Amino acid sequence: MSAAYRSSRTLQGHKSVRLGAATAWSRDRFEPASALVAQGDLDYLCFESMSEVTMSAAQVARMENTETPPYDPYLVARLEPILRDCKARGIRIISNQGWLDPVAAAERVVALAAALGIADLKVAAVQGGILTDRIAGLGLRFIETGEPVADSRERIVSAEAYLGAQGIVDALAAGADVVITTRVADACLYYGPLAHEFGWSLDDAKQAGRGMVIGHLMECGAQVAGGYFADPGYKLVPDLAHIGNPIVEVTADRIVMSKLPKTGGLLSPATCKEQLLYEVQDPSCYFGPDCVTDLTQVAFQQTAPDEVEVLVHDAGLPKTPTLKVLVGLTEGFMTEEMVIFAGAGALDRARMTQTLLETRFREVGLQAQEIRFDYLGLNGVHRESSPPVTVEPYEVILRVALKTLDRREAEKLRREIDPLAVNGVAATGKWATSSPGSRVRPVVGLNSCLVPREAVQVTVSLHHSR
Amino acid sequence: MKKTISLREVAHSRSGEKGNSSTVSVIAYEMEDYALLCEQVTVEAVRRLYGPITKGRIQRYEVPRIGALNFVLDEVLEGGRSRTLAFEESGKALSSLMLSLPVEVDAGYVGRAQKMREAT
Repeated sequence: MSAAYRSSRTLQGHKSVRLGAATAWSRDRFEPASALVAQGDLDYLCFESMSEVTMSAAQVARMENTETPPYDPYLVARLEPILRDCKARGIRIISNQGWLDPVAAAERVVALAAALGIADLKVAAVQGGILTDRIAGLGLRFIETGEPVADSRERIVSAEAYLGAQGIVDALAAGADVVITTRVADACLYYGPLAHEFGWSLDDAKQAGRGMVIGHLMECGAQVAGGYFADPGYKLVPDLAHIGNPIVEVTADRIVMSKLPKTGGLLSPATCKEQLLYEVQDPSCYFGPDCVTDLTQVAFQQTAPDEVEVLVHDAGLPKTPTLKVLVGLTEGFMTEEMVIFAGAGALDRARMTQTLLETRFREVGLQAQEIRFDYLGLNGVHRESSPPVTVEPYEVILRVALKTLDRREAEKLRREIDPLAVNGVAATGKWATSSPGSRVRPVVGLNSCLVPREAVQVTVSLHHSR
Repeated sequence: MKKTISLREVAHSRSGEKGNSSTVSVIAYEMEDYALLCEQVTVEAVRRLYGPITKGRIQRYEVPRIGALNFVLDEVLEGGRSRTLAFEESGKALSSLMLSLPVEVDAGYVGRAQKMREAT
């Protein structure tokens, strides 16, 4: 424990810790981090940068272009504006931007600190859990299909476990100013620093449950503070363009969510409820690496404008013997094209075009695993659950997408779409024709499996700027 | 006397993804309407809405402390974001379909839109 850190703050005589949510995913807004550092009175600033597909997509990007960094390409852009202030104010940074190679990311942050003239910055890399080379040999089965993972051995491009908070706790105990991790359970980015600050044992399920509730509410950034909530006439959110990202203040017995004054957005029980259930299956049994959390034991109370107290009633249950692993599998290629219609007979002309394309696909012997036609404006979003068409639409976009095993088969789609300019039906509008390149992209499907904890070793390394 | 209104007047909703499943919450604006949700927003009712795109199970979970239900729709995303051909690949736009569900309320029930109009 370095005395330089300000987390000995007290709230009404109790130790309190303040954490801010800088990002919810890799390509989230950039402004909140700086605002939180300048005005948030924070102990920790946390960056979440992953979705389910992040690691496999990064792996594929590196196969296609070896120059692609193995970590979040926004790593430097995110940290450069704030690193000096964070060090000066004693705000520690927790980030899962290490992706495939947290050590390389940590070294990059050290180089950035040197370039900025920040002396004595300690950057920890938390690695482990990347099982790409081993996963097929562990005798596991995919949860989705029940099939042995080994049967897909040739197609595996990535496999990584969701790690728990241990690596983050160890890194902070070693005095890290910045902690860069590979994939960890998103909520652990918040639970980790809390466990470190309050000295919770990671086997203490009750505290782990509290920590995971906090982390789960915070991990999606603005989504708990009025983002992704507004619905005109039903749910009002002030100044959506300037949402203030959430801050959580935690003491031994209280959890209070807030956001910076004079920012847009909304923090209310309703915004917290939406986030509590977001991406959750059985709320009474929310699996994480460090515990199982019973989210039905959570309630919310508005304590001031844009301030909500989170009431957690014994939500933590003991952890399971396994960790969840995501496995990325090469599954060929996909591509999509669109053609555009409007005015009288638009829908009839779109339908005629679908029939024409289906005929052409037979003519050229297209070998596709799946072909999908959507009528954007009618059924492109809710698909077959969309209501029947009762009113002739003024405009409609025919979108066609397909999946193939062979890249050359996927390229056939554009070779049939482009000629519609002269071979198609009347008044066929075109889109993005000036881009001559291929819109074919590789498909990496994700499956999951459960791996015994013993199969995963977490290691922490420290990297210093001089 | 009863009247039929859309669920949008009673509850709000957010959808998220987990692999090839979609999770869709239904949260009462007013805690006293939670019983109405439990009674009318059933798995059968939800299957009528999402059935055409849901190839797997539909499960309902009750979260009384916050006056909410949580639905899990399996095999609804055409393989999930990693491999789907669906134009909207995330299922994050599926919550608005839930809010189109018709529900029956007392004739005097004041829905969310009217309440918001009266408040501004």
